[in-house]
Amino acid sequence: MNAMVGETYFRRLVVFYIPLFLFVFAMLFPFAWMLITSIKPDAELYNPRISPFIVREPTLEHWESLFGTTLFIRWAVNTLWVAIASTAVSLFAGVLAGYALSRLVFRGSTMFGIMIFVTYLVPPTLLFIPLTGVVTWMGLQDTTWSLIFTYPTFLVPFCTWLLMGYFQTIPKELEECARIDGATRLQAMSKIVLPLAVPGILSAGIFAFTLSWNEFLYALVFIHSPETKTIPVGVTSELIKGDVFFWGALMAGALFGSVPVAIVYSFFVEHYVSGMTGAVKG
Amino acid sequence: MKKTEQHQPAQKRSSVTRRDFVKKTTAVGAVVAAGAFLGGKPPAYAQSRKLHYLQWSSFIPDADTEIRRQAEEFTKATGVEVTVEMINQNDMTPRITAAIESGKGADVMLLINNQPHLFANGLDDHGSLMGELAGGDIYDWANGAVVVDGVARAVPLFNIGNAIVYRKDVFDELGLAAPNTWDEYLAVGTALKNANLPVGQTLGHTFGDAPSFAYPLLWSFGGMEVDESGKVVVDSPETHQALAFCKEFWEAACDPGGLAWDDTSNNRAFLGQTIGATLNGASIYFVARRKFPDLADKLAHVNNPEGPGGRYHVIGPRSPAIMSYSEEKDAAADFIRFMFQDDNFSQFISVNSGYVQGLTPKWESHPVWSSDPALGIFSTNAKYGRSYGHAGPWNRASGEAAEKYIVVDMFARAVQGEDPKAIAAWAQKELENVYN
Amino acid sequence: MQTQQTAPEPSLRERLVTALENQRVLGYVLMAPALLLILIFIAYPFVLGVWMSLTDKIVGTSGTFIGLGNYDKLFASDIFLTAAWNTVFFTTIATIFKAVLGMWLAVLLNRKFRFANITRATVLLPFIVPTVLSTLAWLWMFDATFSVFNWTLRWLWQMEIGIFGLVLKENWGFFRGPLWLGDPSLAMASVILVNVWRGLPFFAISFLAGLQTIPPDLYDAADIDGASGWKKFWHVTLPLIKPVAIVVIVFSIVVTFADFQLVYILTRGGPNNETHLLATLAYQLGMGSGNIGQGAAVALFMLPILAFVIIFQLWYLRREGVR
Repeated sequence: MNAMVGETYFRRLVVFYIPLFLFVFAMLFPFAWMLITSIKPDAELYNPRISPFIVREPTLEHWESLFGTTLFIRWAVNTLWVAIASTAVSLFAGVLAGYALSRLVFRGSTMFGIMIFVTYLVPPTLLFIPLTGVVTWMGLQDTTWSLIFTYPTFLVPFCTWLLMGYFQTIPKELEECARIDGATRLQAMSKIVLPLAVPGILSAGIFAFTLSWNEFLYALVFIHSPETKTIPVGVTSELIKGDVFFWGALMAGALFGSVPVAIVYSFFVEHYVSGMTGAVKG
Repeated sequence: MKKTEQHQPAQKRSSVTRRDFVKKTTAVGAVVAAGAFLGGKPPAYAQSRKLHYLQWSSFIPDADTEIRRQAEEFTKATGVEVTVEMINQNDMTPRITAAIESGKGADVMLLINNQPHLFANGLDDHGSLMGELAGGDIYDWANGAVVVDGVARAVPLFNIGNAIVYRKDVFDELGLAAPNTWDEYLAVGTALKNANLPVGQTLGHTFGDAPSFAYPLLWSFGGMEVDESGKVVVDSPETHQALAFCKEFWEAACDPGGLAWDDTSNNRAFLGQTIGATLNGASIYFVARRKFPDLADKLAHVNNPEGPGGRYHVIGPRSPAIMSYSEEKDAAADFIRFMFQDDNFSQFISVNSGYVQGLTPKWESHPVWSSDPALGIFSTNAKYGRSYGHAGPWNRASGEAAEKYIVVDMFARAVQGEDPKAIAAWAQKELENVYN
Repeated sequence: MQTQQTAPEPSLRERLVTALENQRVLGYVLMAPALLLILIFIAYPFVLGVWMSLTDKIVGTSGTFIGLGNYDKLFASDIFLTAAWNTVFFTTIATIFKAVLGMWLAVLLNRKFRFANITRATVLLPFIVPTVLSTLAWLWMFDATFSVFNWTLRWLWQMEIGIFGLVLKENWGFFRGPLWLGDPSLAMASVILVNVWRGLPFFAISFLAGLQTIPPDLYDAADIDGASGWKKFWHVTLPLIKPVAIVVIVFSIVVTFADFQLVYILTRGGPNNETHLLATLAYQLGMGSGNIGQGAAVALFMLPILAFVIIFQLWYLRREGVR
């Protein structure tokens, strides 16, 4: 990057380090706050006169109440399972549809493409009441499967869209070579195109995983039993006790609900970036 | 136990569903079908009898513990396994709606206020249960909350009363007496605010404390949403007066933070000693007694002030209701009977330490009211009780008006300096939209 | 090599293989899973939802057809108009901030520096944490009495008093600081702030991806021409990243427009409906007051606006020759 050549240290500080620091600080502050809140005893938490930044007598009581009195671990397992499974379903559908729409010529392909885009626009607030009926009709209510099959409603359009762009960046010639050597279309797709598309698939998967991990409305409405809930619903509906002092445990829940995903992300961030590159540069 | 007959339909329905399901999704094939199989619960007939009870998580943790205890006792006595689920009150409505729309969910739900009107179409007929448990003794307003077109859709169990909790020590120090009228409350509040312990009240969108403050204020100046016939009459001189008073009161006496508060904020603020008085249930006192005993000794309660139109408190029962889709209606009715049993309900009132009141006169003499002088006042709530949508019937429209926070927002607008006449005209229009 | 007529009687497997060599057949087969999911879980509920919006359905009843009656009622209600306006305002302002700040952050992250990877991962955090949970953290930080921001402001304010030699009392209540969620104009700003905080990483990372595809020699050429950093950004970076930006912005508009969780947690539309959005109003009507028909009508109202946005996107992409 030539832009940096000849930059003075001071200039670099002003145009680079300080803004970057401010961004990182703003992005991370709420997480720091979750941590601080979760280890503060109630007496300090609800005293507006003392500095909120200092934890005088750190306590693990909120953590204990999170793990001891709620099904948090169970919720985490559920959330993980739902996120992985619905991501898998969406990727399966999205990869195939994305490939078909970007590579194959068939009647109605443009219409299908538009249709998939349009489904993305339908607001979940409109869908969730009718969807309740569909879910019950299939006998999926109060099971994690209700979420695994409904989350793709918003995941498939995005995955398809992202992967279409990505498939287009892979030269057609590679596929044609394989087919000259006797491979079928399906073989060419699975042996040649898909391996090359791994970064794109990975980034679509990470994105889908994030959205599933976050989803709230469907999980609130479709799931009844405490032991089937996901983290966002479990923490808000069972940890927001009417009791006035719940912030410690709640923030502990928020912290432990996000950190695991963050760790997974840190491994994949490069792929994520390169996957997006494929999608956006058609 | 009539196990087999009772579960026959369930078995049939679920197998049909599953077959349809597989048939209709063959193209997705093995993945989906396997999913339905793995995820579907074991057929109902293989299970012992089960009951699912859904209620809010109480502001009083001990009350939840007591309900769980009762459920366990009930299981011991009847062999019916009870799943007690407690969730945030705000999440109750979507759960009830979804359950009714899909015909699946908890068997018994604890409804609030006029929800029996809202969900009447999904609730069982509770006529005989109501007669048996509440009889003719039940307060009229509680009756009105659950009887929809002549049919009881739930059985009212208890009310959560409220009163103004204030710092007696500060009042004494400043030479203030507990206010009896709104004008006195204004004077008291002004003195409190000057002493940096203002009155704390919410006018945000929050289901408990905001309407509990706004509606009585409107009523005590003589304003009301609708007349007996359901005609919207909110745009009246009385309403203008109430709004004008509220603005004055807010500026002189209140913590401005109230506009953003939820139901728990005033509890925190009071216990954090940043406000000196607030209208609330007994939960502030309850928590203070347990966590800040010194502060608890300095607390006292007083009823809502009186205005030209009288003195009022918002009342609204909590009523367990059996859902019409439930396949365990007998067990559900038994569970409700169990909660109503004198010993159980008495214990429930005791652990709530004044937070809840019974709905028949006999509970007015429960020992909890004399056990602590600070609490006695809550037992008188029912005397001043009025419900949303007064003077009209307590119907779905009054619930929608409350849900839209029209009355609360009138006062929120007033304290933000809008003209009372314009506000009342706005509310008139919005209420007509709801009622017509 | 599609034609393999060697076998006189092709087995089922072979026939299948041959059929799948046909683009049209393969196309439909590959589309099937996605289409099936969409048909069952979107198309059918969607049609049902549209039907509901044309009925007076109350929870638990099937409702009767009333044509556009629900829309008549909505347009007569200030609350609906306020919510519609708020939604447009919220989406526009939040998207502008996300786009501008996201671009800035992307440009910063595109540089080479130590810990670049870890920094990129960290700034993604707000995007990946469950929204309800992070929003609860914001709710706590905005708390009228215990806000950490207000404590800091108070502390600075007192310091200032100290500096000017005024009386410094243990009188914390004197200055409470802004009411983040209570003041009508601030409440919307606070909601937007949280939305920007949450959505910014997605913009930054997407833009970063776009930036990385820009060939460095373009900058070299600009350097030879003696262009300043700002000029290079304006004339080289921005035009090249425009297609990316459009896609990301449109995607974000769709999500922001239908945003529900933020307001549901932070204000529930208060104070005085200043932060009510169409999604929260739809929820309030359909869920809170059991008026499912009207709730569906509000939710459906979002579609035409979003459709307009997406048509713009398709038109633009086609014009730019992307896709």
